[in-house]
Amino acid sequence: MSTNYIVENLKKEIDNFSSQIKAEKIGHVLEVFDGIAKVSGLSDIKSSEMVTFPNGESGVALNLEEDTVGVIILDDFSKIREGDEVKITGKILEVPISDNIIGRVVNALGVEIDGKGVIKTDKTYPIEKIAPGVITRLSVDKPVVTGIKVIDAIIPIGRGQRELIIGDRQTGKTAIAVDTILNQKGQNMICVYVSIGQKDSKLRKIQTRLEKDGAMAYTVIVSAGASEPAPLLYIAPYTGVSIAEYFMDQGKDVLIIYDDLSKHAIAYREISLLLRRPPGREAFPGDVFYLHSRLLERACRKNQEYGGGSITALPIVETQSGDVTAYIPTNVISITDGQIFLETDLFYKGIRPAVNVGLSVSRVGATAQIKAMKKVAGTLKLDLAQYRELEAFSQFGSDLDNATKQQLERGKRAVEVLKQPQYSPMAIERQVAVLYALVKGYMDDIPVDKIKEFEEGLINYTENKTKKFYKEIMETNMWTDAGEVELKKAIEEFKSGYQR
Amino acid sequence: MATLSNNDIAHAIYLVSKDKTHAELHEVNSKVMKFLVRRRLLSKSRDILDRLDKIINHESEKIVVKVLNARKLKEESKKELTFFLKERYKVKKVVLLEILDEKLLGGVRLEIDDEIIDLTVKNKIKKLQEYLIRKI
Repeated sequence: MSTNYIVENLKKEIDNFSSQIKAEKIGHVLEVFDGIAKVSGLSDIKSSEMVTFPNGESGVALNLEEDTVGVIILDDFSKIREGDEVKITGKILEVPISDNIIGRVVNALGVEIDGKGVIKTDKTYPIEKIAPGVITRLSVDKPVVTGIKVIDAIIPIGRGQRELIIGDRQTGKTAIAVDTILNQKGQNMICVYVSIGQKDSKLRKIQTRLEKDGAMAYTVIVSAGASEPAPLLYIAPYTGVSIAEYFMDQGKDVLIIYDDLSKHAIAYREISLLLRRPPGREAFPGDVFYLHSRLLERACRKNQEYGGGSITALPIVETQSGDVTAYIPTNVISITDGQIFLETDLFYKGIRPAVNVGLSVSRVGATAQIKAMKKVAGTLKLDLAQYRELEAFSQFGSDLDNATKQQLERGKRAVEVLKQPQYSPMAIERQVAVLYALVKGYMDDIPVDKIKEFEEGLINYTENKTKKFYKEIMETNMWTDAGEVELKKAIEEFKSGYQR
Repeated sequence: MATLSNNDIAHAIYLVSKDKTHAELHEVNSKVMKFLVRRRLLSKSRDILDRLDKIINHESEKIVVKVLNARKLKEESKKELTFFLKERYKVKKVVLLEILDEKLLGGVRLEIDDEIIDLTVKNKIKKLQEYLIRKI
């Protein structure tokens, strides 16, 4: 590159530069501490408006008091000094966005952090937005196929639904979320994974897995790591949902995962206490419910008149010793349309995903479940509940009648069938075939420890032999009598071959 | 009990001192001092006085403008500036406080309370710098 070229370019840039003369409102920093600045002046500032500091750091006005403004600083605050000039920008905090963001890892401000170069953007979206109104919405009636048998069969999720994933640490909450992302390949879904207060190593592991399985082609990761200041953790989910809204406004379906909202609430508590807002239960501020409700309310399914896109939200909440009655879990349970409850005991018993079927519920997902799945999984939840009850009985070792014995045996096999290793989501038509074999009693005489092997064999066999059945489910979401006959025949054939 | 802000106190002082004779003012001042001592607000007296100053200026339609520039302003420019500021802020009186600062390189910067109008060369160069190093 010649010197002349650089000089010419510079001249051209300077020619293009024009600066507007305008009166600006300023303030002065009174004190700075822990990512918070108290600023005097700034008389015309609005709530959530962005301000800038002399070294280019940006902040957001959160507390508007009579004499001062409480600002959360979104960058390194170590260079901000008392007396520094603070300027109003006139903008509400917004995130730069374009289609190029897909496949990238960005921070809470929408700036790339994956080292793959600047993301070219053409639009900005405000991070705080009023949720879509009633007129624009449509009820949930299209499924999100997670690829996890126990969820798709018993706790189905619909597009536009908010389903909470709740459980203690190390129970597989993130695994469910990641598996769901992996299963969205070819499902016409954009995924946004928002990591709040997680270890960078954990995020890297997830990113590597998504890249390996080709899931980054339709995924955006928003990261506010554990080492970042609380203000960034606070805004990260709002940034995530703004990105999701950008795609929803194009009529696309989006799946957003907030991992996790307990850490988000803790970050907000930290900010609120530093801003001297009065603490309430568990020292959380009074508006912690609104913090999450306004976020999750932005998940919706829009009707065709308004673009027809959707945002499905899977917030994650971590409980302490299985206590779902703590403040944040109860809040988020009441906001969402159902919860997937994961239990440590089940996890260590080897039942993975460790979903407690009794406590888990999906309030609106049943309407979105495909007909075929509804038919095979109709009685599965009840069967499993009865099995758990009878299981306690059978511990006494007393004589049991045949019907009870049969119910116990079926239950054992159902639990075994619903077990699924991580990173191996299953297509819905395969799930239907397996569950059909289970509920129709074809697995009753297979030993429990052979169920997995039988299941794998059955899938391979039926996939080759019952092309019609699989095609019908893929195209019409239901089988015909002819398809059912074909499947029954294939299962019987496979079973007789397997038992020999 | 609601807490009294410095602004409330300054406003109260203004109202009790308004239209008072010299002798009456002396009495008001001593009462104000007693009040500040009793409420342990003496440490905030500087801020209260600043606010009182602003209230008086506002009521008498006067503004105090800090004028920062690299070189001393000509009388003609001052007159023009005063006329412009009177029009913009709809006031009767403008007090210019001139401060010389060579680091501004050229131009002028006006500070009126928490509003600034920055026409300095230094500010222009800073904005050009921000423009040139922006991420494309």
